[in-house]
Amino acid sequence: MPKPSDLLQGTLDLLILKTLAREPLHGWGIAKRIEQLSGDELSVGQGSLYPALHRLEHQGWITASWKNTDLGRNAKFYGLTREGRQQLERELESWNRLSSAVGLLLKRA
Amino acid sequence: MTIARLLRIVRQRLRSLLRKEKLDAQLDEELAFHLEQLTNEKVASGLSVEEARRAARLEFGNPLIVAERSRDQRRMNWIHDLRQDLRYGLVMLRRSPGFTLVAMTSLALAIGGNAAVLGALDAVFVERLPFAHADRLVIIRTFAFDNPRQTDGASILEFTAWKERARTLEAIGASLSGQRLFHAEPDGMAAESMPGLSVTPGLFAMFGVAPLKGRLFDPIQDASGGRALGVIISHRLWRQRFGGASDILGRRVRIDGASRRIVGVMPPDFRYQGDDVACWIPMILLPNAARQPGAGRWFVVAARLKPGVTIAQAQADLDEIAAGLARESPDRQKGRGVRVQPLRDALYGWTKAPLLTLQASVALLLLIACTNVAGVFLARGTVRRREIALRTALGAGRGRIVRQLLAESVLLSAAGGLLGLLVAWCALAALTTVLGPPPAAPRIATIGLDLRILAVTALLSVLTAFASGLAPALATGKLDLASALNASAPASGTHPSGHRRRSLLVAAQIALALVLLVAAGLLSKSFMRLAGREINMDTKGVLSFEYGIPAASYAKQVGYVGVYPHFAIDPSPSGAIDRVFDRLRQLPGTLSVAGISYPPVNSLVLPTANVVLHDRGEGHAHQVAYFLVTPNFFSTVRTPFVRGRDFDARDAASAPWVAVVNESMARRFWPGEEAIGHRVRLDNGPDERERAVIGVVRNIPTRSNQIEPEPVIYASYLQQPSRYAGGWIGMFGQMTFVVRHAGDSAAVLSSARRAVSEIDPSRPIVSVGTIERHLTANRRESRNYVFALAAFALTATLLSAIGIYGVTAHAVNERTREIAVRRAFGAGKREIVTLVGRRVLAPILTGLILGLAGALAFTRLIATQLWNVTRTDPATYAGMSLLLASVALLACVAPTRRALAVDPTIVLRSE
Repeated sequence: MPKPSDLLQGTLDLLILKTLAREPLHGWGIAKRIEQLSGDELSVGQGSLYPALHRLEHQGWITASWKNTDLGRNAKFYGLTREGRQQLERELESWNRLSSAVGLLLKRA
Repeated sequence: MTIARLLRIVRQRLRSLLRKEKLDAQLDEELAFHLEQLTNEKVASGLSVEEARRAARLEFGNPLIVAERSRDQRRMNWIHDLRQDLRYGLVMLRRSPGFTLVAMTSLALAIGGNAAVLGALDAVFVERLPFAHADRLVIIRTFAFDNPRQTDGASILEFTAWKERARTLEAIGASLSGQRLFHAEPDGMAAESMPGLSVTPGLFAMFGVAPLKGRLFDPIQDASGGRALGVIISHRLWRQRFGGASDILGRRVRIDGASRRIVGVMPPDFRYQGDDVACWIPMILLPNAARQPGAGRWFVVAARLKPGVTIAQAQADLDEIAAGLARESPDRQKGRGVRVQPLRDALYGWTKAPLLTLQASVALLLLIACTNVAGVFLARGTVRRREIALRTALGAGRGRIVRQLLAESVLLSAAGGLLGLLVAWCALAALTTVLGPPPAAPRIATIGLDLRILAVTALLSVLTAFASGLAPALATGKLDLASALNASAPASGTHPSGHRRRSLLVAAQIALALVLLVAAGLLSKSFMRLAGREINMDTKGVLSFEYGIPAASYAKQVGYVGVYPHFAIDPSPSGAIDRVFDRLRQLPGTLSVAGISYPPVNSLVLPTANVVLHDRGEGHAHQVAYFLVTPNFFSTVRTPFVRGRDFDARDAASAPWVAVVNESMARRFWPGEEAIGHRVRLDNGPDERERAVIGVVRNIPTRSNQIEPEPVIYASYLQQPSRYAGGWIGMFGQMTFVVRHAGDSAAVLSSARRAVSEIDPSRPIVSVGTIERHLTANRRESRNYVFALAAFALTATLLSAIGIYGVTAHAVNERTREIAVRRAFGAGKREIVTLVGRRVLAPILTGLILGLAGALAFTRLIATQLWNVTRTDPATYAGMSLLLASVALLACVAPTRRALAVDPTIVLRSE
């Protein structure tokens, strides 16, 4: 299995928040969704996914509830809170600023 | 942060704190789900269930670590960790009770001592004085330029000059203390003599204090004597003598022969110049008072500076006045200086140096205690390396390990702090006695455990925890995993940096202990030299008390002789004293009775006379201490005679006048000559007669801090002039009686009281135990103080000995194998001793050198508290270094013997 590129500190939070913006998901689902949407370029290890989820939950950006999956299995689903949505806006904005700045630098340097 | 999010966060934290098990179960469940999904995915891609499960496991990694990291995100984990750490710490502490006990006790002593001394410092130097504009109140004292350490009060001339000329003072007032006699009253109230204060009427107003009842003195009417004589009484006197009568105001009482009206009662907490002042009487200064020469400097002068005036400005102002006075009346004022002191300094200044010294000492002690505990932790850290390495390997972060190690020192310091409170409580009680029953320091009697001391203790405990635990914890937490785990046995697990750290700690301990030892040594030496003085009196089996009649009843001023007031003495007070003396001699159970005009030893007030040596043809007078005594005084107190005889029945008023001198006077005035037979004249006015010296007695030390005895001359109270010119008119009317008795002193005292009251019911015996009190007065305070410092120093020495023992023992343990190998290869005892000694000698020597340097700096603080010893006294420095070095080496003996006893065959076989 190819080792996915290390995610920049804080980027994982952004990805999780963005993923959850569409609908509530469980941890497995989040990991799969990130892999899928990145065209299998990004892979999130469990070792960092769950600590990140718990951190976000403890910061009040996301909230968790136990629900049945489509297959009837009980799982922990995470969803964005209202504050989480605002946080996502802020993180997106700063990500855009950062990436355009980095892009600009790479182009000019 | 929005409210909603805040609530959510709080709920999360509470849940992680209170529903930990449920959350943990959910976390496991969540991870299991993930693993399940992963397995399903593998199965879907074609693997067998068994293979899929294994692949999923592999990919997922250790679920325990994932769970642990996720749990770490909970912000309340630290509480669980803390509880665990504390429990574990407790186990570790219980496992080595000896260390725990020593560490806890030393921390308790140090923390408690610090809290107590800080409390006292705060009470004395920070708390507000109960006076208005206290920051502008000053005390003005005078001194002779050739003896600036000894300050005096002010003369009436000086007081008046300051009052009239000073530009920096807003108000000024003087007071004069003395015993006041409350006469027996017709309603049966007994006569009582109590300390009183004459005050210039504006003094109370200057302090901004209000009476509890009645009024203060009126600066104009009470000062001129225009109104009936008034008196303000203390709360205690009102309660005790007058039973707290509600109609106390306006009552008439007789004080020192004059009828006075009680105009006010002061509140119980008002204290100035003594906490036992029973009454205040307005001082009446006649308009021409300043122009009359007066000799004594008895006024205690207080003043309030104008707003914005600094002490330095006031000092400059008064210096100028002093210079002016010296020009105007050089005979009285030349060579006299003035000192302006803030009131607080004047009241408590004398406690400042001792308190700061104590504070510095307990701070050093705390440092030593901390280094000791830190040293043990460091040593334990090296022993526990494998345990810690194991925990690290099992996934504990460095922070977690450090916290765990810190928990132990936190526990120790907390226990130390709690015990320290007890220590502080006792120490505060002791401190008030260390500093004596302070005559002019009201507040210090009221210091006690309060919230601030609690807070200080808590703060000190926290600081102690970090000071003693943080460095070892960090050092231990940083260890190199591989080497620690690979080490085959703890014996070979040497940890050089740990050892270096401990050596540093030992050096620091030795240095700090030496500083304390030198300070305590110097103070003890000074104290012992004072205490070891030959008193040349035998006061065992002697009862002493004072009896006196007021000077006003026998002396009338008739003019001046030179600068001194000239008094006519009539009727002669010796008659009244004679009667008492006779009655006392008839009392059953007395062996010998005598009297002396002032307490003869450790006197605060020392009456003087100017002696002219007539037979030398010298014109000028020498000032010497002067006492009036009854016949047989020296034989009663058993002061040995060098030669000559005591006063006896031969020396009546009509007989040739004689005198007894002390050894110091004989040696000073007639060196190498026979003093007896020499004739002297006291410059006490024209009526004095020449006196022949009939005896030379051994020196009785007149002042408490004096080693070199000063010249003293004694004369009989019967051979006195009927007119006296000088500053000590009071000495003719008072006697300190000494009664040598057989049997019970209480019985003798009560019969003496009865006998005296039969002669004159209005003049009771006062100050029972005068001589003992004078002998012990300053002694007790300074003894307790020196004891306290010595105790600190010895504790410090003990602690550093423990520290050194620890380091040596550890060095031996660490090197058991090395020693065994060396022994096996034929190393002699000498080599082994060198091996161990090298480890400890360097830190001990470093510590001693640092300590000597530190002591040189530290003793600056106690220089003013030393008498007859210089602060650089080489003997003390050398002696204390030697003492500490011996103790340190002694602490190495046991471990070194253990090193010598190492049996190579056993050690090497056991490996």
